[in-house]
Amino acid sequence: MARAIRSNPRLDLIVVSTCIVLSLVVRALPTNLRDPLATGMRRTFLAPLVMLQERSERGRQSLLQADAKQARIDSLSLNSMKAESLDSENDRLRKIIGLGSRLRWGFIPTEALHGRGVRDETTVILSAGSRAGVSRLSPVIAPEGLVGVVDQVDPTMSHAMLWTHPDFRVSAMSPDGTAFGIAQAHLTGSATGGYLIELRGVPFRATLKPGAEIVSSGWGGVWPRGIPIGTVLEEMKTSEGWARTYLLRPAVNPSDVYSVMILRRDRLAKGFDGVWQSAAQVEQATQRINVSGDSAARAAALAEAAARRAVLDSVARANGGAPLGVTDSANAPAVAPRPAPIRRPVDTVAARLRRDSIANAEAARRDTVRPDTTTPRPGVPR
Amino acid sequence: MNVGGAIRALISFLIFIVLHYTLRPLLGWRAPMDFLILALLLAAVRVRPSTAAVIGFALGLISDSLAPDALGAGALAMTAVGFGASYLKAVFFADNLVLNAFFFFLGKWVFDILYFIGEQRVHGFELLQQLLLWSPLSAAVTAAVGVLLLFIMRPLLEPTPA
Repeated sequence: MARAIRSNPRLDLIVVSTCIVLSLVVRALPTNLRDPLATGMRRTFLAPLVMLQERSERGRQSLLQADAKQARIDSLSLNSMKAESLDSENDRLRKIIGLGSRLRWGFIPTEALHGRGVRDETTVILSAGSRAGVSRLSPVIAPEGLVGVVDQVDPTMSHAMLWTHPDFRVSAMSPDGTAFGIAQAHLTGSATGGYLIELRGVPFRATLKPGAEIVSSGWGGVWPRGIPIGTVLEEMKTSEGWARTYLLRPAVNPSDVYSVMILRRDRLAKGFDGVWQSAAQVEQATQRINVSGDSAARAAALAEAAARRAVLDSVARANGGAPLGVTDSANAPAVAPRPAPIRRPVDTVAARLRRDSIANAEAARRDTVRPDTTTPRPGVPR
Repeated sequence: MNVGGAIRALISFLIFIVLHYTLRPLLGWRAPMDFLILALLLAAVRVRPSTAAVIGFALGLISDSLAPDALGAGALAMTAVGFGASYLKAVFFADNLVLNAFFFFLGKWVFDILYFIGEQRVHGFELLQQLLLWSPLSAAVTAAVGVLLLFIMRPLLEPTPA
C-alpha cells in the first residue's frame, strides 16, 4: 500500500479537532434540527445511495420469500386443479338436490360405483340396497335424465343395468306424443365417438327433427312417463320400410354418473309432472309469455284510444256540436282508433250565425243567477 | 501518489461505498461487514491524517444520515478511526495481507466501540454483548472481506512504479 508522508502535525491536530467538535455539535443538535439535516442529506446527494439500499433490501426480501412464494404458488396450483373437480362435483350435487326437492319423496339417493372391467361400462354398483327400500326394476335416474334400472338387489347394495347395456330397453316418445318408439343402446359404433341411443320403431308418418327431445313414455310399467332420455341427432338409414330409426344423444353420460337416485316403486304411480322441464315445455312457456305480452299491449292501446275518443266527444259536446260518433267509451269497438278528422272552421253565413247564437247562449248562462243547491238550514240568515 | 494512482484509489473508494449500500443489505447478516470502514482505511493510508479525518467525518455523516437518532456518532467515530489509521500507518501498515486484515479488524472494532458509546442507545449488558460479541464478529467479517477485496483489487490498488 502507498504510504503518505506525514507532515505538519499541528495542522492535522487542528483539523481533526475541528472534525471532532463538529461531530459533537451535530450529535448534540436537538431533534428538530437533526432530522431536517439528515433528511436534507438523504434527499440530495445521498439519494442514489438510499435508492441502491432500498433496491438491495427489496431484493433480499424477494430472495427470502422466494421459497415461500413458490410453495404458495404450488398450493394455489393444486387448489385450482382441485377446484375444477370440486366445481363439477358441486354442480352435480346441486342438481341432485334440485331433483330431490322436485321429487319431494319416494327416492333413494345413492352413489354409483363404477367397475373397471370390460363389461363394467354397462353396469354399476349402487350403495343402497333392499334395506333402504330398493327393489328390483327400480328406475335409476340422474338430474339430467334416465340412467338405468336395478336388476339385482342385496340388503346393503344393488346392481344396476345402465342404458348402455345391450339388454336395456325403454319405451320412449316425443314430449308432444306424436312419435313413439323403443330406445336402446346404439351398439354398432357411432360417428361422434361417444355413447349413443337408438330410437327404433318410430312410425313412418312421425318425423322428428334434430334436437327434438325424447322422454320415457311410461308404457311397460317400469319407467314413469316424462323422464328425459336424449335428443335426436339424425335419422338412421335402415332396411325397415315401415318404421323410422333415430340416433339420439343421451341425456346422461354413463361415465359421469356418480351420484344417482333410485325411484321407489310406490313413487312411480304418482306421476312426475314438473320434475323435468323439457325444452318443449320451456318453449311453450316462452310462447305463452309472448302471447300474454301482446294481449296486454293490445288492451292498453284500445283503452288509450277509447279514452282519447271520449275526450274528443266531450269537447265536441261542450262546443254544442255533435259527438264524433261514439259517446259511450265502454262500448268502444275493439279496433284501432282512426285519427280524428281535423275540423276546419268554415266561414259561411250559417256558421257565423251558429257561433253568434252559441256566444249569446253562453252570455245568458253567465248572467243567470244559479240556484243554490245546498239545503238551507233553519235559523241561518241567507 | 500520482494522478493515475489517485484516480484508481478514488474508483476503489467509490466501489467500496457502493458495495456498502448494495451487497451489505442484500446479505443482511447479523454481523455485517462494513465497507465504509474499509474505504476509509484504504484512503487513510494514502493521505495525511487531517485529510483522513475529514474523509472519516464525511463518511460518518453519510452513514449517520440513514440513522438520524445517531447523527454525529458515526462522524465522530470515523473521524477518530481515519485520523488514527493515517497517523499509525507507519507503525502498522505493511504489504502483508495478515497485517492488513488485523488493521481492518482493529479499525472496525474501534469504530464500533466509539460509535455505540457515542450513540448512547445501547446500555449495560446489551452494550457489552454488542461490543464483545457482535462487534468483533463484524470486525472479523469486515477484515476477511477487506483482505479478499484487496486480493481481488490488487491491480487497482497497487502503487504505480516510478
